[in-house]
Amino acid sequence: MIDLADLLAASAQVSAAPGGRAPDAVAVGGLGDPGTVLLSGPGTGSGPESLDAHLDRWAGLPVLDGAQVLALLRAGGLDGRGGGGFPLARKVAAALASGGPPVLLVNASESEPASAKDATLCACRPHLVLDGAALVAAALGVDHVVVHLHRGAGAPVDGISRAVAERRGGGHDVVAWTVSLGPDRYVSGEASAIAGYVHDGDARPRFAMAPLAVEGPTGRPTVVVNAETVAQLGVMARIGPRAWAALGTGGSPGPRLLTVAGAVDRPGRVVELVGPGTVGDVLAGTGCTAAPAAVLVGGFAGTWLSGDEAWQAPYERSALACLGAGPGCGLLGVLPHGACALVETARIVGYLAGESAGQCGTCVAGLPRLASAMSSLADGTFRRRGLRRIETLGDELLGSGACAHPDGVVRLVRSTLEVFRDDVVRHLAGEQCRGADHPPVLPVPVPHPAGAGPRPQEHFS
Amino acid sequence: MTTVVRIDPTLCRGHAICALYFSDGVEIDQWGFGRVVEPTLTTRRAVRKALRAAAACPNGAVVVTEHGEAVPVGADHPTDTAGW
Repeated sequence: MIDLADLLAASAQVSAAPGGRAPDAVAVGGLGDPGTVLLSGPGTGSGPESLDAHLDRWAGLPVLDGAQVLALLRAGGLDGRGGGGFPLARKVAAALASGGPPVLLVNASESEPASAKDATLCACRPHLVLDGAALVAAALGVDHVVVHLHRGAGAPVDGISRAVAERRGGGHDVVAWTVSLGPDRYVSGEASAIAGYVHDGDARPRFAMAPLAVEGPTGRPTVVVNAETVAQLGVMARIGPRAWAALGTGGSPGPRLLTVAGAVDRPGRVVELVGPGTVGDVLAGTGCTAAPAAVLVGGFAGTWLSGDEAWQAPYERSALACLGAGPGCGLLGVLPHGACALVETARIVGYLAGESAGQCGTCVAGLPRLASAMSSLADGTFRRRGLRRIETLGDELLGSGACAHPDGVVRLVRSTLEVFRDDVVRHLAGEQCRGADHPPVLPVPVPHPAGAGPRPQEHFS
Repeated sequence: MTTVVRIDPTLCRGHAICALYFSDGVEIDQWGFGRVVEPTLTTRRAVRKALRAAAACPNGAVVVTEHGEAVPVGADHPTDTAGW
């Protein structure tokens, strides 16, 4: 039995804990802004923080054994920040219970085109990420950690590579680091795709009867953990689980990183929310003065909320769940008044349809049809029975794939039809769309042509 | 005993033969791709049908596991139930 009191006492000596905070104070800030925790330190444009600077600010990482790390994860209630929100303690415990030496992979690929929180951490605070990863390695009893990124990511790859070189040179860690660079595709950032890629070079999602943490592609338990999640652990180990949890809310412990996109003062900016803030608090910190038309919460595979509803909503998992949404990858996409959500959604669905790995029949056949239905709804060339077609496609796509890619697209489409019911009616009636001439709001990449060009496998290795 | 059946969607090519042998356990979509309605099999009859479906699938997409271990399909579960 681990004495948590000891752990708390040991970690309390570290001065980096944000002291003197009122319990309900809310802070929203970017890199280097006051009140931030993960993003505290040098501001934008300063590049990756060196190991010396990092240790000056945060002091050394407490030396903890595996059981102590697991106790820390449980006490803090650290949830996964990659999208699923799965508690890291349960993932680690599942891997330990499954037998065989586990494999540990840090997912820093951040496939979501509009999201940049993991990229910012890797590019500017790489040692915080590696600190947390070293702790998870201790919990799993492994001495090798793979950090996976998209090969075209740029600054995050440089940040992590430099940090790994610094730690190797100084003999800082007992773990050996490998930086893995994979293809720049949306679904190749999915956990089973990364585990598979590191194993055999094929970055497509895998079908499996058991969760990765029980049995991965190598046959060994495989823990894939998001880069922000481990960075949070790097903070928690120093300030203690209670102080860390108190930086969030009861329902969502710890500080949270978000990316704001669309109609904000600096689209693509990454901010940290400390304390029990609402979506409105975050947006007010990023140049919005009043509720926008709508907010896309949680990423391209996320949920639209009407601007008023979103503005009031506490940014925490349970409160967002009541509205049918979730923090997902931490994206808030702001749709301004005057733009059309149906047009924006059609662009997103078109992109996502082209990002299918081309493995599962229903995804291959269904997503392009769903994309074309959404695009005719957006441009007003759609008849009422088309809505039933979208419903049927949604039912068939939900849960049909080896990964959750089709599920995410269906979730986005359904929330669009629900939240923008009035717009759907107007588009069906053939009224002139008010947002038809509005410039694109969200940064949706050019769709990959589905079924054209080289065979799908060639894009995924 | 926990016996679980699932269809590997990356292997399924929409022959829909599984639905002939396990019609009450498999749903076929508009393109012929199958999906298991309830993966956990609770009766011996359902297990037998699922194993026949697994043996009949030309792509080996129907996977049956017992306590997490794959059940081999083949001789013990003949698919020629009509006897020809």
